[in-house]
Amino acid sequence: MRNNRIGAYLFSFPSLFLTLVFGIYPIIWALRYMFFDYQGFGTPRFIGLDNFARVARDTEFWHSVWNTFIYAGGKLVITLPLSLILAVILNQKLRGRHLFRAIFFMPTIFSASVMAIVFYIVFNSYNGILNQYLMKLNIVSAPIDWLGASFAMLTTIIIAAWGAIGNYMLLFLAGLQSIPDDIYEAASLDGVNPVQRLWYITIPMLGPVLQMIIMLAITVSLKGYESIMVLTEGGPFGKTEVMYLYLYKLFFPLTTTGTSVQNIGYGSAVGFTTAVIVGLVTWIYFWVSKKLNSIY
Amino acid sequence: MTIRKILVRTPVWLLLLSMSVLLLFPIVVALLGSFKTNLELTTGATLFPAEWQFKNYVQAWNQADFSAFTFNSMFVAVFVTVGTLLVASMAAYAVDRVAFKGKKLFILLQSFTLFISIGAVVLRPQFDLMVSIGLQKSLWGVIIILISAHATAFFMVVGFFRGIPRELDEAALIDGCNFYSIFWRIILPLLRPALAVVALFTFRGAWNEYILPLVFSLTRPDLQTLPVGLASLRYGAGAAVENQLMLAGACISILPLLLVYIFANRSFMQVTAGSVKG
Repeated sequence: MRNNRIGAYLFSFPSLFLTLVFGIYPIIWALRYMFFDYQGFGTPRFIGLDNFARVARDTEFWHSVWNTFIYAGGKLVITLPLSLILAVILNQKLRGRHLFRAIFFMPTIFSASVMAIVFYIVFNSYNGILNQYLMKLNIVSAPIDWLGASFAMLTTIIIAAWGAIGNYMLLFLAGLQSIPDDIYEAASLDGVNPVQRLWYITIPMLGPVLQMIIMLAITVSLKGYESIMVLTEGGPFGKTEVMYLYLYKLFFPLTTTGTSVQNIGYGSAVGFTTAVIVGLVTWIYFWVSKKLNSIY
Repeated sequence: MTIRKILVRTPVWLLLLSMSVLLLFPIVVALLGSFKTNLELTTGATLFPAEWQFKNYVQAWNQADFSAFTFNSMFVAVFVTVGTLLVASMAAYAVDRVAFKGKKLFILLQSFTLFISIGAVVLRPQFDLMVSIGLQKSLWGVIIILISAHATAFFMVVGFFRGIPRELDEAALIDGCNFYSIFWRIILPLLRPALAVVALFTFRGAWNEYILPLVFSLTRPDLQTLPVGLASLRYGAGAAVENQLMLAGACISILPLLLVYIFANRSFMQVTAGSVKG
């Protein structure tokens, strides 16, 4: 039993086979096609690094990279502090804390694309529900163009934060539970106020967990594009175009906006570049947070 | 002391209550709005419907094809859940209980697929693979690809395996069980509560999946799942936008998850919390 190798290979085979065929092969496929000129039909033509030269010159792509940083940065700035504060509050013996946890986590269980439809009806510029309320309460006199050029990015960030706060609250809660209570007891004897307690005890004590959660948050928010795709398709005028959405359009042109053409060779090169960008950002964060840790 | 306590407590409660309102607002809008008329939705600025329009659901179900979308979503989610549980728990059993050559490489491979993402690029070769075995015209293509992304479930099950003592395996071995019957008769029954949590997680993921079924149904509208069918209403060709149908459709997707969540929210949260403790 302990060394039933045949059994072990037999049992891990389905997993291995599926992972290799549908997980690894597509990556190798892309690594090959990024050196080819291929539109999805005809014979692929080898063109060396030409696709990457085109990526470097592609202002639309770099614009989407810039948008991705705004989108991810905005989402993190709203989500992380809020979810940490909520976690700290709900980690105390507070009446109804289980109910609040359940309420705050609820948005994370629903489909991002389905909720994007609901948010479309809420934020709709002309007759959306939010504008109806704002005008009824006399907060604004004319409807705000939430999905227009100047507000669309903010709207998508709010929607992303809405779906993420509960998730990070729970991750922080799990981390907080590993901080021993006696530290807080000692601090309260010394007359520490709640803000000092958060800044000087909780955040340093979270240490590696905090670092891991932030890293997860960065990679997840750089990759998100589902709800943007449903809500704005990257518009208006590319204002909400993030890099993974731009990439999607190179492979599956959206029929409604219809601006891009399928381009597999070039798309593979863009895919490789986006993966490198995400990896680079993660690595820089890791490096900086390590430096900061050693200063402490 | 009491005044100080009130000074600290009041902003805390205000924050908790206002966050609850903000986070619940879209869900409440969807639930209540799905019973309103289109006119009420676009001009009303009311919370509750003047008259409960149950016919929105009848209309969405019959005319807007949500019966087909729901069937497709259910079909995909059920088979992906069963498949993922089977594939992940079998692999986890081998990895946790047997020392075999290539085990480290196998684990490395699984974690690699978790961290590397080249986005929509993989969809094209995945689709081509399904074309080559003739599965692009059915939901089985979607199901198999979703099962292949089982790395998270695999690591979750491996974590749960740690809670089952190896002495049990050995005792069963002495009693005449072999490698396979230990898995079926000892491990799986003991893992049942843990697998229920993984099943919940997997079912939610498959039920909510948008991009993959979208790509498979681009030329086959009959394969649309709930998120895909719903999103297509947003850019519906020519037809007047019918908000009440979109909300009724959204609720058809939301309600099953919401019902399960009300009864099992601890299990939902256990998955997320567990990923930190690792």
